[in-house]
Amino acid sequence: MGVLQYVAKRIGLYLAVLFIGLSITFLLPRFMPANPIEAYISQLQSRANGSLTPEAIAEMRASLEQLYGLKGDLLTQYFNYMKRIVTQFDFGLSIAFYPQSVTTMILGALPWTLGLLLTSTVVAWLLGNMVGLVAGYFHTKKAATILEVVGILLYPIPYYILAVSVLLLLAYIFPIFPLSPTFPVGQMTPQKFGMVIYNSLLPALTLVLAGFGWNILSMKALAVATTEEPYVTYARLKGASNWTRMVRYVFRNAMLPQVTALALSLGTVFNGALLTEMLFSYPGVGLIMRTAAGGGDYNVLYGAIAISIIAVATAGLIIDLIYPLLDPRIRHK
Amino acid sequence: MVRLGRYVLAPLAGLLLAGASQAQEMTDVGTPRNETLIVQTFDGKTANPNAQNPFNLYAIWRGFRELGWSFLWEMDTATGQSYPELAAGPVEVLNPEHTKFRIKIRPGVFWSDGVELTADDFIYTLDTASKYKDKLNFVAGYVNYVKSWAKVDNYTFEVETTKTAYDVQTVLGVYTWGSQFTPAPKHIFEPQGDNVVTFENAPAVTLGPYKIKEYDPNGFWQLWELRDDWQRSGWGNAGTPKAKYVLYKDFGAEETRALSFVQNKYDIDTFMSPDSIAAAKARNPAIETFSKTFPYHDMNDACSYGIYINQQKAPYDKAEVRWALALTVDLKTVGLSALSGQFKAAAMPLSDTPITNAAFYGPLDGFLNELTLADGYKPFDPTFGQQMVEALKAQGAPESELPTGDAVKEGFGTGWWKYDPAQAEKLLASVGIKKGADGFYALPDGSPWVVELVFPSDWNKVMQRVGFSIADSWKKAGFNVNARQVDAGEHGTVGNTNSKFNLELQWNNTCVYNVNWLNGWRSFNADNVKPVDSSDALSGNYLRVTDPEIFQLVADSANLPTEDPQFAENGRSIMKKLTEGMQEINLMNIPTTIPTNSTYWRNYPKQDNFYAAPYSWWSSFKKTILNIEPTGK
Repeated sequence: MGVLQYVAKRIGLYLAVLFIGLSITFLLPRFMPANPIEAYISQLQSRANGSLTPEAIAEMRASLEQLYGLKGDLLTQYFNYMKRIVTQFDFGLSIAFYPQSVTTMILGALPWTLGLLLTSTVVAWLLGNMVGLVAGYFHTKKAATILEVVGILLYPIPYYILAVSVLLLLAYIFPIFPLSPTFPVGQMTPQKFGMVIYNSLLPALTLVLAGFGWNILSMKALAVATTEEPYVTYARLKGASNWTRMVRYVFRNAMLPQVTALALSLGTVFNGALLTEMLFSYPGVGLIMRTAAGGGDYNVLYGAIAISIIAVATAGLIIDLIYPLLDPRIRHK
Repeated sequence: MVRLGRYVLAPLAGLLLAGASQAQEMTDVGTPRNETLIVQTFDGKTANPNAQNPFNLYAIWRGFRELGWSFLWEMDTATGQSYPELAAGPVEVLNPEHTKFRIKIRPGVFWSDGVELTADDFIYTLDTASKYKDKLNFVAGYVNYVKSWAKVDNYTFEVETTKTAYDVQTVLGVYTWGSQFTPAPKHIFEPQGDNVVTFENAPAVTLGPYKIKEYDPNGFWQLWELRDDWQRSGWGNAGTPKAKYVLYKDFGAEETRALSFVQNKYDIDTFMSPDSIAAAKARNPAIETFSKTFPYHDMNDACSYGIYINQQKAPYDKAEVRWALALTVDLKTVGLSALSGQFKAAAMPLSDTPITNAAFYGPLDGFLNELTLADGYKPFDPTFGQQMVEALKAQGAPESELPTGDAVKEGFGTGWWKYDPAQAEKLLASVGIKKGADGFYALPDGSPWVVELVFPSDWNKVMQRVGFSIADSWKKAGFNVNARQVDAGEHGTVGNTNSKFNLELQWNNTCVYNVNWLNGWRSFNADNVKPVDSSDALSGNYLRVTDPEIFQLVADSANLPTEDPQFAENGRSIMKKLTEGMQEINLMNIPTTIPTNSTYWRNYPKQDNFYAAPYSWWSSFKKTILNIEPTGK
């Protein structure tokens, strides 16, 4: 298979995934038991002390259907939706937060989500892999067992418990961090940037702790298996040092599945970390998606899920394209 | 030594004092803590903080209704009386049909940017709301109520309503928690032209004594600052606002909120579960509930919790079935397990508050006690409150915190229905419903009967707990219950759609704050009844009332002044009919658990100091702003 053929095949697959994903994104909310227009009207009725007349409600229902692109049969809505996404990357207006556009809402939340999750995911990956590599390469040593225990202890703790424990410890008993941060507004200054970092440290710490354990265990298992490979034995017999064998022979070969896992988890960071954002009052996509799901806000759900699908599919494509560079076996094939 | 004191000690003392003043505690948004009232937002974080256009659904819960906007008439939530705010006095009625009105506004009220409020602002608001009513989504409350309007002079305008209207002051003003009819500043909005429908209006030019200082674009907080010219604001004539700053902030999930409250990070909470309040109180004596005695919380909300029943659908179309369900809700156990006994029972389909009690519950006390079902059974249990006291005592509640004498009725309500599964079984048998071999009731044709109860999931934890507890109670009495907790969106859809709806725990469609019961029940009419299998959404009458006599009472009452004794009498007649037919299993007043922290501010509204309803998200919060006092800390 030539390189061009390989790349074309992968890109074709990527486009197919996007098409199917976006189509499902369109259909799924419509199978939800909630009708966003009715939920919205009910909310308005409640806020208007129940004083909306039937005529007012009927008029409002008609205009909302028009406004949010819910007019017409399913096929018409589908074509309009695909056209808007593909040509303008436009997900329309939020139903629950009219007249805000979905794109504005998501783009506003995305930097926060990405800043927190990208950093913590990469840090957890690096730390976990380093510890896991050492624990795996020296798996016969007692010290390695201790390192492994860190992973074994951290990995099974439910995230919620871990986060609440960290909050209790570092924001309540020892109030080093705020329980409920206030992020600064206006023009960013070095001082304000420092406050953002300070307010992000606690949620980042919980995410690192949560991801750290899995990476230790996973890398340790891979490193143990790789250490037994003949080429590592050969390197040892050749007189290569422990460091050389661990880094150049074991790590390079054991890291392939870890790179895949990292790329996929980087793709999923676009979803946000709902529990983190809720517990730490952190502005992100997760909170927006939760509100949208609760209120049946089709358009916001479309937007957030579609962006997530695009991100995961793109991450998959990038992995496919760079894998041959990392793994000579694939290149050869 | 004197010299030493003058030249050494005095500067040292000065330095210390300066140091102390520099060490003054500041909030996270840079305001002095002792000048800032900090309030937990009612709806948590908002996704649309920039939406501040009162023509559209805006970021309503960030203080706008309370501090920003101002209305023609406000509501005294301690008495249920409407009073003028922007208006110069009560509405003037111009014709015997009660359709034409003259409204005078107070001269000398200024917007936060220094422009005077005039009748032109109201005329512009009505013109715009009417012109774009199919595009603006927060104007329906008045665009179909008002038919025409005209300016008389700079401080006077007239309106004509579409129908006879005795409730002008509470529709164009405030009935309970705010008004949709918010005057928009013409000088800001008019230049927007047609773009007014999507205009965000941030930061808004407002009328109240506070103006927006800063807000978080992520939607977690909004800071208000007292205007220098607050005396010429919309309610600057009502008294002196005590806090220089008011910060509305979402302190996050209940776990972090409770901890932040203990740390004195904020002063007023919204809904917090009884468990969290108890835990917070135990760690910080400055945290208080509304009352020192059970049921601890404010029970004066206009709305109540109840089980709505699809009365059009078999077998719920039979009164015997509905009564059987009511008589098998073990409300004492439900209230103890779901709310730790901190609730006030309300047997009839209205909240039982001091205001509604005088008009409805009190006069119907005899009716409840004498109410008899067809077989001669008397279902009402006036001893319910005392039983609650005994149950709580048995659970170890401190006697000093339990009500005694008349306070039992004030605390736990007039009474509720007996818990009597045997009578329920008898009622069900009379319509052919008997228990099957599996121990559960089956339909008359012998087929299994699954009683589906829909209630909110954790977006409303109190209702979620109550829902599960009721399902448990019914299950014990032999009903095969499918307890289904749903998101807010689905909750609304189920409640609106006949084909999807059997039984649902609800809260919002029977809200009555004073004698004007039409506010909650005006939608009882034949036009709002849809076929039982309809998948079209209802436009009102969510109780599914089909009784033509009730429809007639509602129609007749619309042409009566709300202060007419016959108006209240008609309301009581409707209550009797709804109760006799058990058309809704009303449960309790909404327990609004609003703990306060008196570290920095005191004199919040409390049971023994009830100058206003204690809700920080109702426009009546203005009264709290005027009455709180700094503690000096």
